[in-house]
Amino acid sequence: MASATLEHDSHHVVTEKELWKGGKSPFRISYGKVMMWYFLISDTFTFASFLITYSSLRFTQSANWPNPAEVFSSIPLHIFEGVKAPLVFVSFMTFLLIVSSYTMVRAVQEGYRKNKMGVVYFLLPTILCGIMFLGCQYLEWTHLISEGMTPTTAAPVTKLVNFGQLFFVITGFHGLHVFFGVILNIWLAVNAWNGTFDKRGHYEMVEKIGLYWHFVDLVWVYVFLSFYLL
Amino acid sequence: MEQHDELPEGHLFLSDSEYAHSRTEVLKTIIILSIVTVVEVSVAIGYDHFNPTGGNFKWLINLFMAVMSVVKVIYIMGTFMHLKNETRGFFLTVLLPFMFLIWAIIAFSYEGGSWNHMRDIINAYNPLNLF
Repeated sequence: MASATLEHDSHHVVTEKELWKGGKSPFRISYGKVMMWYFLISDTFTFASFLITYSSLRFTQSANWPNPAEVFSSIPLHIFEGVKAPLVFVSFMTFLLIVSSYTMVRAVQEGYRKNKMGVVYFLLPTILCGIMFLGCQYLEWTHLISEGMTPTTAAPVTKLVNFGQLFFVITGFHGLHVFFGVILNIWLAVNAWNGTFDKRGHYEMVEKIGLYWHFVDLVWVYVFLSFYLL
Repeated sequence: MEQHDELPEGHLFLSDSEYAHSRTEVLKTIIILSIVTVVEVSVAIGYDHFNPTGGNFKWLINLFMAVMSVVKVIYIMGTFMHLKNETRGFFLTVLLPFMFLIWAIIAFSYEGGSWNHMRDIINAYNPLNLF
């Protein structure tokens, strides 16, 4: 209905008054994308409350807080046993997420071009990086637990139970987001391959899930900052 | 054409030149992000190597790390999530709620510091040593 009035003047510059009369989005983006952003804002507040708890608890015990370079001093792989390489493994994990963000944004661009194979081609490395990230997290957790750091006990090097509690809850919650991101990306790649989005006429779903995936990377920036850099 | 009704107005189809331009832009962004991360990690490892007990300039290093993380977030949200290309109204809708967090970070960190100073008083009244 409204489209008939909108179509003929697509080059017409809309005034602010017209925008708020309905029919056109004042933000000039679709409902789905706005809602994805709102979800991400609310998720930001969940992560922020975790990280602010971290900050608060760290300040209560600032003198005894473990040094990240000591806690994360080794690479949890057998061939690197005994090698002192502080922060190297987690930097590799960060690198995986940055690379996957790049391939994701390339998939979104291919979606703008309605290039079906391009979308699938760039989603595959994104999925691979996500799975590798989860694998690395598994290795790191196993290593830390074997050293005695669990949600209820402290390793000799961490001294404080709080450090382990916060670490497992926050990186675990982030890992859960990566896990769901991988599942969504697999679903996306299968649907792109099957031509679902060609039939629909647009690849906006790639954009929406892309927003979620970048958010996961964005949260990792702050998890990385809190646990490993400060 | 009728299926395009739900499409958002604006940039959903890239022309050849726009496509080429956004490809280089994204490539530039990922290179900047990688460099920032490498610098952060080198500074963290280097500082720890020379000052294993903490040292006097830890606060300066922390400030540097915080600023670098904000730089990374600006690039991720601005370029990867296209926020800098959205309308001003939407940009502010997303960004303004985060202003609350600035106060929350200051207030709760301050409160944590306050507990730290009250530890002796609390322990005196806390025979089980729970805190």
